[in-house]
Amino acid sequence: MSTITGERGGQASSLSSMLTLPFRFLMGVLNAPMSFLQRRFGIGGMGAVFLAPNMLIFSVFVLIPVAINFAYSLTGGTAIFFDDRHFVGLGQYQTLLTCSDYTTPSTCLQDAFWQSVHNTAFFVIAQVTVLVLVSLGTALVLNREMRARGFWRGVFFFPVLLSPVVVGLIWKWILQRDGLLNAILMDFGFERTLWLAERSWAMFWAIFVSIWAHLGFYALILLAGLQAIPRDLYEAAMMDGTGRMRTFWRITLPLLWPNLLVVIILALIKAVQIFDEAFVLTGGGPGTSTMFITQYIYETGFAHVLRNLGLASAASILMGIVLVGLTALQLGVSNRRARKEAV
Amino acid sequence: MSHLVLRQVTKEYGAVRVLHCIDLEVGNGEFVVFVGPSGCGKSTLLRTIAGLERASSGEIRLDDRLVNDVSAADRGLAMVFQSYALYPHMSVRQNLAFGLENSRMPRDEIDRRVTEAAKMLLIEPLLNRKPRQLSGGQRQRVAIGRAIVRRPGIFLLDEPLSNLDAELRVVMRAELAALHKRLSATMIYVTHDQTEAMTLADRIVVLRDGRIEQVGTPLDLYNNPANRFVAGFIGSPRMNFIEAETIPIAGGVGVQVNGKQQRLPHLDLAPGSKIVLGIRPHSATVTEIDQGTIPLELTLVEQLGAETILHGKTDRGEIFTVSAPGQGRFSMGERIGIALPPEDLHVFNAEGQALPRG
Repeated sequence: MSTITGERGGQASSLSSMLTLPFRFLMGVLNAPMSFLQRRFGIGGMGAVFLAPNMLIFSVFVLIPVAINFAYSLTGGTAIFFDDRHFVGLGQYQTLLTCSDYTTPSTCLQDAFWQSVHNTAFFVIAQVTVLVLVSLGTALVLNREMRARGFWRGVFFFPVLLSPVVVGLIWKWILQRDGLLNAILMDFGFERTLWLAERSWAMFWAIFVSIWAHLGFYALILLAGLQAIPRDLYEAAMMDGTGRMRTFWRITLPLLWPNLLVVIILALIKAVQIFDEAFVLTGGGPGTSTMFITQYIYETGFAHVLRNLGLASAASILMGIVLVGLTALQLGVSNRRARKEAV
Repeated sequence: MSHLVLRQVTKEYGAVRVLHCIDLEVGNGEFVVFVGPSGCGKSTLLRTIAGLERASSGEIRLDDRLVNDVSAADRGLAMVFQSYALYPHMSVRQNLAFGLENSRMPRDEIDRRVTEAAKMLLIEPLLNRKPRQLSGGQRQRVAIGRAIVRRPGIFLLDEPLSNLDAELRVVMRAELAALHKRLSATMIYVTHDQTEAMTLADRIVVLRDGRIEQVGTPLDLYNNPANRFVAGFIGSPRMNFIEAETIPIAGGVGVQVNGKQQRLPHLDLAPGSKIVLGIRPHSATVTEIDQGTIPLELTLVEQLGAETILHGKTDRGEIFTVSAPGQGRFSMGERIGIALPPEDLHVFNAEGQALPRG
């Protein structure tokens, strides 16, 4: 009996030893340098050692570019190399911010910049408002008991998995002059509409497509929030004779509010950065009617014949300030929530 | 105060039937406790009465009004949940007032009722706090207060004390009993704790597998359990059971246990019937090893001060518990004798039904 057990044990251990072989090999290789680092920096310093590779990559690709970007924003000219550029102080910012009437882009020195600011502001307000409301509605529906709930949740989440460029291309294919939508409409006897070449339609579709692309993500956050509300509370509300609307306003919405706030701020941050889907879909057109700040920066800095890197850098710093503000707001909100929950 | 009648109420989830033909009447001002092991359907029955679940068939009548199709809100009942289900974002005051606001009651009447309930439950100083700032016992009071302010026809309480620690549970149990008296309200209370059932109930409903096993006053159930299940469920420590076969003995029918003859209460039984004897630990008596009917080898001795609970095994391997008064000197592994007073024996047939005593 004992020999049988022994054999079985042997088999099991040989299988597990095979599975852990790569791991043990890796550990063996890492052992010497790790003990060296630990001797060198001490146990307490190992945290910094483990963070170092990530910090290095973060520095090379984020921190240093931000610093360089800021430095460029203080220089002028079209040269790429820093040595060939001349210092202009806050001149680029002055150029960007010179306007006799900020509500009318054509009165600004950089009318394209202000047009893109106006477009972005309109896009952010409209897109975030509709996106949050539709996400909430979707989450409420998906939270109900229904057939094939998993399938429906998947359907709404699916676009989130697509790359923004693919999203833009899909919808361009649907909406272009000879696209799917026009084909269907004309089959039913309607006239062809130039969905992407008419100013108001282009903006409408830019907003629509970005909502379609992000809806699932935000609906998922809200769905998680809804499911965290105990069923008991709804039953207590039922016993208390609470109507459906009142239950929504007095129970669901207050308890979902922390999630809703996160969704609003994340959607705001994302909307301010709008670029890829819209750029692929409309290319900023017709004219500059769907050109957003990010596209302005890209075109000013890279696409234009006269690469005005200084101006583009200054514009991106200004946009960065807005994003930092929104991020601070988001962190403030989630910290406040964490403190509240800790009580 | 309301009067509740259930007629042939069943509840099915798909093909699974969780309540079987429940017939029950709860009178005005009565305190009825549903008790049973988990999964016996007691909570489902309560929720069906509340209107949170729909009965699959049968009739539910409140004060002679058929309420099967009446929504939970319109049945005029209030429920206290096991989790308390307080609205976490509202203050205690708002929690109490919420249901009244739904019915568009005038503000001063709401305030009056909230203050009155808060006074009764000693939670007046807490009215402006949020539920998360309250202890378990305080939350429990708020949950009860939320029911009180509604002045419901029936209070439905779903294991309301199970989230409290043992000491607080005893205190709240007493308060609930006092509250019931003070409000002279009809209350239906669900618990799996037979002690709670015994101490609180006017009548106990014992449920098993979605069926009512027995309905009666606490002492009724204790003294005359209808079957082996009720006998084992009610009373602590639980009743002992010994399987036996009847034999003729001088002056009637008895059983042979451990080679010794044991008289039975006067019963209409033919010799040779298979039966189960039941005896409560407090009814069996400890004797010298050679004098008792059953020899017992002790496996555990629990000293409670006023009594000593002895757990042991019979020679046939049956587990047996007996209570000895006072602080007896017993040790584990010791062999003692157990005598079974015939008048305290419960006798069940092979199907577990209690045999009527003659």
